[in-house]
Amino acid sequence: MATLATPMLTADRPARLWFAAVTVATLALLAACATFVWWVDPFQQYRLASRYPPRFYSLHHRYINPGLAKHQAYDTVISGSSIMESTRNSVVARLCGGAAVNLSMPAMSASEQRLMLDTALASRSLRRVIMVLDFNEFAGAPDERQDVAGPLPTYLYDRNPFNDLPYLLSWNVLLRSWRIVTDNRSERYASDPDAPWYWGDLKRFGRDEVLRGLDLKNLNARFQQPERTLAAMRASFERNLLPLLRAHPQTQFDLVWPPYSILVWVDFAQRDQLDLSLAFKRYVYEATRGLPNVAITDLQSERSITHDLDRYTDLYHFDPAINERLVKAVCLSAKRFEASDVDEAERRLREQVAAAQTPAGLAQIVGARAQ
Amino acid sequence: MFNLARQGPGRSVLFNSYDYLLYFLPLSLVGFFALGRRPTWAVAWLVAASLFFYAWWDPRYLPLILGSIAFNFLVGRALRRETPRGRLILGGGIAGNLLLLGVFKYADFALSNAANLLGKPLPLPHLVLPLGISFFTFTQIAYLVDVYRRKAREPSVANYALFVSFFPHLLAGPILHHSEMMPQFASPTNKRAQATNLAAGLFLLCIGLVKKVCFADQLAPLADAGFANPAGLSTLGAWLAVLAYTLQIYFDFSGYTDMALGAARMFNIELPLNFNSPYHATNIREFWQRWHMTLSRFLREYLYIPLGGNRHGEWRTMLAVMITFLLGGLWHGASWTFVVWGAMHGMALLCYRAWERTGVTLPRPLAWGLTFLFVMIAWVFFRAQSLAGAATMLRALSGGNTVEPSGAAATHWLAQLAAALTSDAQTSATWVGAVILASVVVAALRRNSNVMVREFRPSWPTGIAVTVGLVFSVLQLGKVAPFIYFNF
Repeated sequence: MATLATPMLTADRPARLWFAAVTVATLALLAACATFVWWVDPFQQYRLASRYPPRFYSLHHRYINPGLAKHQAYDTVISGSSIMESTRNSVVARLCGGAAVNLSMPAMSASEQRLMLDTALASRSLRRVIMVLDFNEFAGAPDERQDVAGPLPTYLYDRNPFNDLPYLLSWNVLLRSWRIVTDNRSERYASDPDAPWYWGDLKRFGRDEVLRGLDLKNLNARFQQPERTLAAMRASFERNLLPLLRAHPQTQFDLVWPPYSILVWVDFAQRDQLDLSLAFKRYVYEATRGLPNVAITDLQSERSITHDLDRYTDLYHFDPAINERLVKAVCLSAKRFEASDVDEAERRLREQVAAAQTPAGLAQIVGARAQ
Repeated sequence: MFNLARQGPGRSVLFNSYDYLLYFLPLSLVGFFALGRRPTWAVAWLVAASLFFYAWWDPRYLPLILGSIAFNFLVGRALRRETPRGRLILGGGIAGNLLLLGVFKYADFALSNAANLLGKPLPLPHLVLPLGISFFTFTQIAYLVDVYRRKAREPSVANYALFVSFFPHLLAGPILHHSEMMPQFASPTNKRAQATNLAAGLFLLCIGLVKKVCFADQLAPLADAGFANPAGLSTLGAWLAVLAYTLQIYFDFSGYTDMALGAARMFNIELPLNFNSPYHATNIREFWQRWHMTLSRFLREYLYIPLGGNRHGEWRTMLAVMITFLLGGLWHGASWTFVVWGAMHGMALLCYRAWERTGVTLPRPLAWGLTFLFVMIAWVFFRAQSLAGAATMLRALSGGNTVEPSGAAATHWLAQLAAALTSDAQTSATWVGAVILASVVVAALRRNSNVMVREFRPSWPTGIAVTVGLVFSVLQLGKVAPFIYFNF
């Protein structure tokens, strides 16, 4: 047998001292690193940033939002994908009352939305949750997760301090802690706690912006959105969101269908996803109609928004004024969404999509590009 | 293929994880040595720890390994009795093990090939491959054969369970011989902490962790990016991607092995060597004497020699070599790419045998270069997702891709890759080059970890180096990447 040759140590004592010294030194250095990160806490996992302006790093929603959920004062949550990032907490508070926190995440999946809301609901007694639903979040398996800035740090979503080592002992986090202490601002981040993930001032809006690089006959060529099936979407909703709605009857859940541009629906029609998407909306209504704590708001056939491409930066993402309008529709509307509203919204949307697919209709929306 | 997430829903206590390094390993050591005065309890503790280690991945598979251990222990006990039906029992035992492996590892492969032959679809079970199944199955087949040959016997079920499940080797080897392990497990002195072994084990574990974190994980994005889109690679880009993978798999697997040997050493157990600077080899036979040595030993003793070895003339020898390498290739994964990889190595070994007879000796640098080049090209099949993907990569290597001129394309590829890794493409292109260069120097020119641990003396410089290595590596664990060989 080929084996490791035993080191020819003449005495046990040097080895014992060496082992003890290395173990103690390693653990001491690691403890020092962890303590430093804990003290600075760049992702606000143990307390909100108060000794320095908070740093909300680009694409780090999944790392920082759990900390906000645990430590910020709020009774209302905004939860959605990137289209909701530009919603200011103060706007929600003004329109809906109370105090709000925006826990949106880009490219969010339903299981991530569930995880985020579980954390918030475990931390605060919530009066209201505004859940903006995105068809794509239900694509894939029910436990689908998006590795936007690395694997989802599930250890940050619980209250177990013993699994926080990947945060406390991470070179990247240590580096960021050092940059905060030394006031090094070389990395891109936002600092406004009222709108941590606001991108409304970073993007250009307008029809030209929306149409740039688009093939109108194959709208998905640029965005490469995933194909969905009704069965998978239903399974994801039933696994992730429905139990949440049922488990918290004291919290008002507002499910919102956001106003994508009409071109999104044209894209759905081009990919044979239109009927499926409408069927899913109908399913969500049916699945939640018996829950008194759930209300639905549907802005997807609001022609004044969806046909005005100047309000968008791409097919999906609208300007922050629409975010405000969305919140207003949720909080200030007294009307409850009924079965007849589902029919009416679907009928209007089908008409709009049919019209948008004609040369004249498309020309009206996109202008000269339709030719 | 190398994404652990595709294996199942659970998580594993990877050697390169905080849970393993800061909780599991220290607690296991403390418990084992605390119970050292009661050897039975110490063994029970280590078995329990090992099974916990395995179940952490997915507890649903715990019955599978327990069933496998129980089955082989009972077969071994039946074999121990002098019975004329020994050969039959051995055949049944081996068949049982191969059936388990076949169901979990090769069912989809066999059925999809059958479907292709029949021209109609067949339902595929899509079973999750249990971690380490290839390793613990082979270990136990070897045990049964050794019992049949009267080279091994194990009356204690606890000792046998420890032999199979001992966590340092459970997931990715080395593949053990019962006879080399049981005396160590049985020794009462091995149940008391020995500072020399603790120190040498920690030293080796640190080397393995640094290999994994500072080399393999740095090379992985380069190889992954290249193999993800071989059609888009220039000639130079393709060579860099294949070189990156060639180095990555060495640092990954040998790093894992070093960590396994180091952890075992801390328990006063010496596991057999698995690597001995394979990229120093100057011929393909020498390569296999240095690469995954315990698999080579298993295949030689339990397949090649029973097939006749070199005792029955040249044609039988050639046949035995080819069968051994084809099955060795298939052992790595249920895919034709692994079969081709095995076939290439088998053919290379036969060519080398023929060359040896000519009596011509190549200059050492040329022999080393040819061997390394062949091993590198064979890795293309090992890493590619399909034969078509491998063919595309080979075309890229041979300059058959019609992309930009080599130099510009490579720069473009590196810059793109670099941009994906950090925000500073210029710095990262330099970083990519530096990582590859450093990896080549360490893999091909430096002393290996076996030599280093043999020459290890407790001293301030080694203490400082190990402390820095451990601290730096632990701080890099945030971006955990699974070990490649967990998938085999």
